[in-house]
Amino acid sequence: MIELRNDTLTFSFPEVHREAVGSIAFVRTLRIPDDDREYPLPPGLGEFPLHHVDDYADRLPQRWSDHGGVFMPMYQAEALWISFDGDYPMAVKVSAGKIDAVTGEPFRNELNRRPQDYVVIPDQPWLDGFSVRKGLIRQFVAMPLGQGYTAEEQLTGAAEHGGLQIVAYPMKASRYERLKAKRFDPCKAEVVFRDMPAPMQMGLAPGGMMRQEVYSDDYGFSAWKRDVRSRCFVHLLNSGQYRTVTGFAPPYEPPTASDYTEAGLPWFEYFDADLEALEGAPRLDRLESVGTRRVNEGKPPLDGGEFVRPQPTQIKRLRNSQTVRDGSAAW
Amino acid sequence: MTFGGYIREVRERRRRDDRTFSLRQVAGRVGIEPAYLSKIERGQTPPPSERTIRRLATELDEDADVLLAMAGKVSQDLQEIVMLRPKLFADLLRQLREAPDHAVLRVAREIRDGDW
Repeated sequence: MIELRNDTLTFSFPEVHREAVGSIAFVRTLRIPDDDREYPLPPGLGEFPLHHVDDYADRLPQRWSDHGGVFMPMYQAEALWISFDGDYPMAVKVSAGKIDAVTGEPFRNELNRRPQDYVVIPDQPWLDGFSVRKGLIRQFVAMPLGQGYTAEEQLTGAAEHGGLQIVAYPMKASRYERLKAKRFDPCKAEVVFRDMPAPMQMGLAPGGMMRQEVYSDDYGFSAWKRDVRSRCFVHLLNSGQYRTVTGFAPPYEPPTASDYTEAGLPWFEYFDADLEALEGAPRLDRLESVGTRRVNEGKPPLDGGEFVRPQPTQIKRLRNSQTVRDGSAAW
Repeated sequence: MTFGGYIREVRERRRRDDRTFSLRQVAGRVGIEPAYLSKIERGQTPPPSERTIRRLATELDEDADVLLAMAGKVSQDLQEIVMLRPKLFADLLRQLREAPDHAVLRVAREIRDGDW
């Protein structure tokens, strides 16, 4: 089952193991420069607020009610990363507009071994974007559906689904017990969902490029209990639509690049030398980033081209035991 | 323990490590007169308003709902929740009255999965 607790999706599989609990949160962050250079990971600026679709069903499209799940507001100046947390290993599939963010293939519920179409908790603490090449991702950034920028529209030609889709599978209980017996050392991780539906929605498009590895499954495909899963559809609204639906504004203003620079926020690099990174998805690597697409269309860059670039002294290197990536205190 | 006695105990405990938790300074940060806080702590006046209790909770790093309960109050937002659907929540709370904590925690709302 999945519950919503303090803007975090909590997955639990009591029918598999009483410790089979994990959580996923969607973390606000700035857009990194979309200039084909590689950047470290920006910090989190707090979690996006999440609401049950059912609580506002009379003000949302019928399709959203059909999907179920949750929704959240997103400013176009923002980007998000997904934070996974939990000690019990889980295989988590993340799709944007029903395009798999790891492989670029169309969404399916089932786990796939080759190519691996999921991330593994707790080995993968975060996912910041679409996996385009080995050790490189393109940031998840919000764009209105229907303008051709989202990964879904570039790959399918249609703005049909939007949002984020999350599916989690727990590890088999027997395998987990063996892990624990071998002095399983829990790591911290965080998970997030996201999704964007049709008429009034936002979608996720590929933005700037970041150094982040999507790790291969170190447990092996047989470790996962593939007949048990939980799913969540996460819809995205822009701030104006969010105010119309809920009656209140998002509980924050989008940060500007100059705010960010003045606050001296850190950037991060994360490495786990024991894990192998996936190669990245050629289908996703062929997508045009928002910045490239706007240049090709003869349009000015978003936000007047105002981006933040990190200074070397701002970059912090984290190892697999250090997964705190918070910059919200500075706001 | 009374509400006032508990506030005094927590404040004094914190003052042992941090002298800014004197009666005068805490009262100042909470926005009340030191004499009034002194009377609250000694039980010489009824517990203060919900707003003041919430400020005390923040200042002393205590749970506001627990302090409100010690003061014989229920927070305004909880009252509003019950008043919106009084029969539903009254029935639910009475059913849970004797339930152990773990059973209460099981009354969780699942995110509905639909067709997609």
